Amino acid sequence: MSTIPQSRLRNFSIIAHIDHGKSTLADRLLEATNTVEARLMTSQVLDSMDLEREKGITIKARAVRLDYVAKDGLTYGLNLIDTPGHVDFAYEVSRSLQACDGAILVVDASQGIEAQTLANVHLAMKLGLVIIPVLNKIDLPAAEPEMVMSELEESLAIPREEVILASAKSGIGISEILEALVARIPAPNGALDAPLRALVFDSHYDTYKGVVNYIRVQEGRLKTGDPILMMGSGAACVPVELGYFRPQHVPVQELVAGEVGYIATGLKSVRDARVGDTVTSQTSPAAEPLPGYQVALPLVFAGLYPLSGEDYPALREALEKLHLNDASFTFEAESSAALGFGFRCGFLGLLHMEIVQERLEREFNLQLIASAPSCKYQVMLNGGKGELLINNPAQLPSPNHIDEIREPWVSASVVTPATYIGTIMELSTDKRGIFDGMEYLDEKRVVMRFQIPLAELIVDYFDQLKSRTQGYASLDYVESEYRVAPLVKLDILVNGEPVDALSTIIHRDRAQGSGRNLASKLKELIPRQMFEVPIQAAIGGTIIARETVKAVRKNVLAKCYGGDITRKKKLLEKQKEGKERMKRVGSVEIPQEAFLAVLRTDAD
Amino acid sequence: MIVGAQPAPPRGLYLHVPFCRSLCPYCDFVVVAGAAAFGPRSRMGGYLNAIEKEIDLRATLADKTFGTLGSASRQPLETLYLGGGTPSLLPTERLAALIERVRDRFGLAPGAEVTLEANPGADERGDLRGSVQAGVTRLSIGAQVLDTSALRTLGRRHTPDDVVATVAAARSAGVTSLSVDLLADLPDLPFDAWAASLDRAIALGVDHLSVYALTLSLGPDETGDDRLATPAGAVAWRERAAAAQDEERGAQELEHLNSRLPAAGYDWYEISNWATPGHASRHNTLYWERASVAAVGPGAHAFDGVTRRWNSANLDAWEAALQQGELPPGGELAAESGTAGVAEGLVLALRMARGVERDAAVRDGFGDAIAWGESNGLLTQHPTDATRVQLTLRGRLLSNELFARIA
Repeated sequence: MSTIPQSRLRNFSIIAHIDHGKSTLADRLLEATNTVEARLMTSQVLDSMDLEREKGITIKARAVRLDYVAKDGLTYGLNLIDTPGHVDFAYEVSRSLQACDGAILVVDASQGIEAQTLANVHLAMKLGLVIIPVLNKIDLPAAEPEMVMSELEESLAIPREEVILASAKSGIGISEILEALVARIPAPNGALDAPLRALVFDSHYDTYKGVVNYIRVQEGRLKTGDPILMMGSGAACVPVELGYFRPQHVPVQELVAGEVGYIATGLKSVRDARVGDTVTSQTSPAAEPLPGYQVALPLVFAGLYPLSGEDYPALREALEKLHLNDASFTFEAESSAALGFGFRCGFLGLLHMEIVQERLEREFNLQLIASAPSCKYQVMLNGGKGELLINNPAQLPSPNHIDEIREPWVSASVVTPATYIGTIMELSTDKRGIFDGMEYLDEKRVVMRFQIPLAELIVDYFDQLKSRTQGYASLDYVESEYRVAPLVKLDILVNGEPVDALSTIIHRDRAQGSGRNLASKLKELIPRQMFEVPIQAAIGGTIIARETVKAVRKNVLAKCYGGDITRKKKLLEKQKEGKERMKRVGSVEIPQEAFLAVLRTDAD
Repeated sequence: MIVGAQPAPPRGLYLHVPFCRSLCPYCDFVVVAGAAAFGPRSRMGGYLNAIEKEIDLRATLADKTFGTLGSASRQPLETLYLGGGTPSLLPTERLAALIERVRDRFGLAPGAEVTLEANPGADERGDLRGSVQAGVTRLSIGAQVLDTSALRTLGRRHTPDDVVATVAAARSAGVTSLSVDLLADLPDLPFDAWAASLDRAIALGVDHLSVYALTLSLGPDETGDDRLATPAGAVAWRERAAAAQDEERGAQELEHLNSRLPAAGYDWYEISNWATPGHASRHNTLYWERASVAAVGPGAHAFDGVTRRWNSANLDAWEAALQQGELPPGGELAAESGTAGVAEGLVLALRMARGVERDAAVRDGFGDAIAWGESNGLLTQHPTDATRVQLTLRGRLLSNELFARIA
């Protein structure tokens, strides 16, 4: 790869809502610049995780260097830093944007701008990035470019003459986008002769190369063999390799100010080379590190347990390994009477939780069960005993020790067609949300703002929002503050024994309904036992709901067909396998599936 | 102990006859019906030629493995069981020829039990006198229920009167042991109607009654067997029927048997079987005692004391191989030795009223399961042999709960 002067480098990102065509656009840019050979071209090249392709989302930020020969005849190095689009990964977006000087804003010409996109564009503008607005899918019959352009003008003050009309699918507008990248985005301006300062914007762990940091060099130069220093952690090393992304690693001898690439540090712990740290030279270190990132704190907590107890050590190992690639989740050992030994994990959001669980299951071949998601509560103890932070209902002290409980709230914004205003208002207030105001994006679409308890949001707000608006509404939220609330612990008792995994912290007014609902669901899910099994929901010592699973009456196999003992045995073995997968609560055997089903369904 | 067990010569032979007048929607047996069973395109002729070849091939194999018939190590069969399907549809002379072929190649001991399954319909029960002359000693009549509307629901061709007529015909033909097969937990049949049907069955005065709870297999077969696919119509029927079954009512019916049948002179000897003294099924007892039983015919299952083997259920594949003079395709389950074999033996033995020797079961490592069965009221001490345990009435209804802890 020939060296490209700093003046011909462009670092950019793509901001888009899910399904608005970001990955397809990235694919087209890769093709148009011959970055990926046609025969190797798959769709969603940058989304290399199976999970990403299946869900059509980007989970990890990625980077790729495109060499583009512009109309002026010169070759430009365009670094595309791909970012996740989901609200759970907002922190990844902000990090990636900091490594860029511009961003392509992709908006579906028939859908218009969405909540997430709004938030990300505001962020990019705050960072001083040049925005290149692109209306995608303009060749679809439902496209309304005029309307979406006025939306951009009104909500983001983006002049319509800057907008590029495109269809990533059919290749319309791709060359205009490439030229706009060259013409509109400024070249990076870090001094080449200053001491090295490079920002780590992501990292992953490689068995052979150790921690691999994704960096944007802000100032100075980094050569192969130069000893480096992580200014935050103090860790020192001589990198094993430097290089670009194409999107696979392409080793180079040198990375200079303005460039985006990777350093294979050889370090064994991600903690030594954290995202947000500044890389400098050991021999002539910089005086000050670059401003780092705010560490993303987990918002949603849940217990993860192996389906079979013997997988516990394997789960620990898997969590440790996965954590090397995703330092944004937390985990600590915990145990549950119903589920055995497991880990209390903290996630950035529900999708993040789902993804971590799926990656653990797929990449490490584990079968897991997750307890009901919870958030972090502040519990003020009485008698001046101070404050307790809990993220697990089991940790909640008994009510007579508690002065008050505070729960986290978020500021949520929902972008929706105006026809759903009533529906969304109803849903949000039903979830204890407080309406904060509303603005029209154009005559058909609005942004609604709410304050809403996070606990309500993580139950099923997003699913409900999607289903009640036929998928038209989009959601974005940021943490706001803690507020006092009348919260209680709801316990579920099976045959008199509390099932700790099903305990929840819940608003007093919701307890009755939720308790009844959980008990009746469990009644359907717990197979009949040899004896009658009561299922109760209780707050403290008060039973608020009760159901009964009747005793099993008969379980016999059919006639044995012509001496076919084999079949009979197989059927028995199936029953036996079923029994082995059961968890015991007191003397009651409950299949894992029952917990899963209860834990997965909403509490309404 | 089964460890290191050697294959044993067969004590019984199962012969599968896959033909029926019509298919019953609840049935999982290996069966062909309609044009394949009757008329110009009937498969009967090809089947009969093939089954005779299989008898020869299996017998030759037994000769090689266990010595020729009549030698000390190779005793003649104690039982022959013609099951189906509807074996009573076989033309009498072909039935006689088949039994002769078995007698010739496997031997039939003096007093051997030769069972023929029969359907009660006038055009299905066959020539009973001829069957007795051919060597049949025991007739098992697929009555299912003696209630006109319940029979119609089940898609059966016969009426309760046909059952009465078949029993009378069998008696006058000189059948020495008569059994009637019944079902419980039938869709939409109230308990009282079912109990009345049972009383009618008792009034027939037969020697043996089998009563099975109707088990409808829904959805795809999960055991991965080589079985024939369930026709779409039958699947829909089963879904409807399953919804009209009632676990509580079914349990009541099975409990009712426990008081009603002994009062009528039938002793309980196996989970689903009752007989007057001397009339327990000897052939089925071989299965429950894990004895060696040979098998011929499509979908038939054999056991030699060590290995379970079965023929393909596919009539075409089965017949084609035999036409070539080869053994039919099928499968087998590797040697059942060690704990798995002992567990299987224990499960089978526990089905029987005689139960198992408690100390032996504990010694074999099933102490926990036995104790669980006792503490949950599924097992109890045998009434006449304090060293043995047997299923209680509750245990008979819930036997799988116990067996799944053993298997």
